[in-house]
Amino acid sequence: MTAIVTAAVTATVAAPSALSGGADVIAVGVLLAEFGMFRQALLRDQVRLYAAQSVLISALAVVVAASRHLPDLYALAALAFTLKVVIVPVVLRRLLRGIGVTGGDPRWSDIAGSHTLGVASAVLVAIAVAAFGFFTAAALGIRSPVLPSTAFSISIAVILVAFVLMIVRRDVISQAIGFLSLENGVSLTALVVAAGLPLFLELAFLFDLLVAVVVFGLLIRVHHGRAESMSTADLTRLRG
Amino acid sequence: MSPALPIPVVQLLQVVTITAAAPGVSGVISRVEARLQGRAGPRVLQPYYDLAKLFRKEALAPEGSSWVFLAAPLAAMVCYLTVPLLIPVLTTFGLPLGYMGDILGGGFILSLASFLVALAALDSGSPYPQLGASRAKTFGAITEPVVLFVVFTVALVTGTDLPYALAATVRSSAGQIIRPAHLLAAAALFMVILYETGRIPVETHSGTNEFGMIEEARPFEHSGPYFALLKWGSAMKQLILYTILLNVFLAPWGLAASSGLWPVLLAIVALTGKAAVLGVVVAVIDNSFAKLRLFKITEFATAAFLLAVLGVFTLYLGGG
Repeated sequence: MTAIVTAAVTATVAAPSALSGGADVIAVGVLLAEFGMFRQALLRDQVRLYAAQSVLISALAVVVAASRHLPDLYALAALAFTLKVVIVPVVLRRLLRGIGVTGGDPRWSDIAGSHTLGVASAVLVAIAVAAFGFFTAAALGIRSPVLPSTAFSISIAVILVAFVLMIVRRDVISQAIGFLSLENGVSLTALVVAAGLPLFLELAFLFDLLVAVVVFGLLIRVHHGRAESMSTADLTRLRG
Repeated sequence: MSPALPIPVVQLLQVVTITAAAPGVSGVISRVEARLQGRAGPRVLQPYYDLAKLFRKEALAPEGSSWVFLAAPLAAMVCYLTVPLLIPVLTTFGLPLGYMGDILGGGFILSLASFLVALAALDSGSPYPQLGASRAKTFGAITEPVVLFVVFTVALVTGTDLPYALAATVRSSAGQIIRPAHLLAAAALFMVILYETGRIPVETHSGTNEFGMIEEARPFEHSGPYFALLKWGSAMKQLILYTILLNVFLAPWGLAASSGLWPVLLAIVALTGKAAVLGVVVAVIDNSFAKLRLFKITEFATAAFLLAVLGVFTLYLGGG
């Protein structure tokens, strides 16, 4: 009897090393945060999840920097942290407070009811899309010197789920959050594929993010000013 | 050196431990829950007194019900007594009857028990138990795939789906514990256990008469010793599921490596202690979340499904 168990243990799939196991756990955490935003009905929690996801990305950058001796990445992690965990969520919240979306306002319902599918079916669709991303990325056979290749597949899945999030939600704010978290997926991909990328380019990407926030802020304000709602369901006609 | 116990005795002790400790674990949970709500709460031993009281009461069956109504609680109890033979309750090494069935086998026997209770509920002819039985089967159908995917994860990790093998794998290195597939499968299993034991995001455990009832509504028509068997059975099911989560996934430590008297006694104490700690966690969850509306339970199940599926995915890509 004991022999069967020991034989089974030796036939076990070898566990990944502690480092790549930990990196995988963080990457899976990023994907789960993306799914969390996907399901979330309240805007405040969506912004919080975005901040949590960004914390995970920064942590992963620190892990890579420490284990592969890439000092550039410390700077990148610090910058990503200040920008994505502090500044962007604060700006988003201020923006929304400015147009009176937070608090006890009934216009909250715009966000709660913005699912075009039921939550359960939407999650199943997202699982299917994520599976597509997972296995397509795995088939590419991209090997990274700094991170396990699972992290690459996961990052592709994050990007695809962010797309699905923008497609199935009908409010401007969720779509903005979807776009920002898509950028998180891209950062994850960049960490896997090109951790040694010059810092200058990484900074350029981060400032692109700031531009995106400004553009989305403008979009949200203009849309709210015109339609008195957050829903994009009103945007059905083209106007000159 | 302690005297070695005969193997059949150890095997019997597994069943006895689960049977005897199960009401106590329920008692701990309701006590902790009450304390967290600022109530004094019932004694930890209260479930034992309840069972003793119910065994002394007379049993009644609704008019028109058949023998199924009275046979089902007994048959379900037999199922709950069988499962502890299959899972690692006290020992790290497999006991002779432990290879009668794998994780799926244990799961089948548990669902057979729940099917029998549902039959009895239907046979009672009264609306509440029937409603509970129909809901339990409906939601059972959507939590079943989650369990399957958890078993797939186990099978991919160990190359077999014997619970003993996974426990041994988890003990073998720290890398096995932090691998994402293992964490995801354990989290998914925990969510299924919350559903199966009727805990808060799904169902209030202590309510008496409520529209959101699922599991708790089924034994409404039973009384006396039959009701006692059903209550005892559901406490045993809870402890069996806790044992699977603890001794196979989360903390397979403290199990007896030999059949010596002291290691086995230590294993009994360790299991009860671990189950009580898990019970405290469940009680905290009970107090920190609101009950989901009935139609939101599918969302809870899809969340668990998502975790289990991601576990299998990461394993397939060799990174889990």
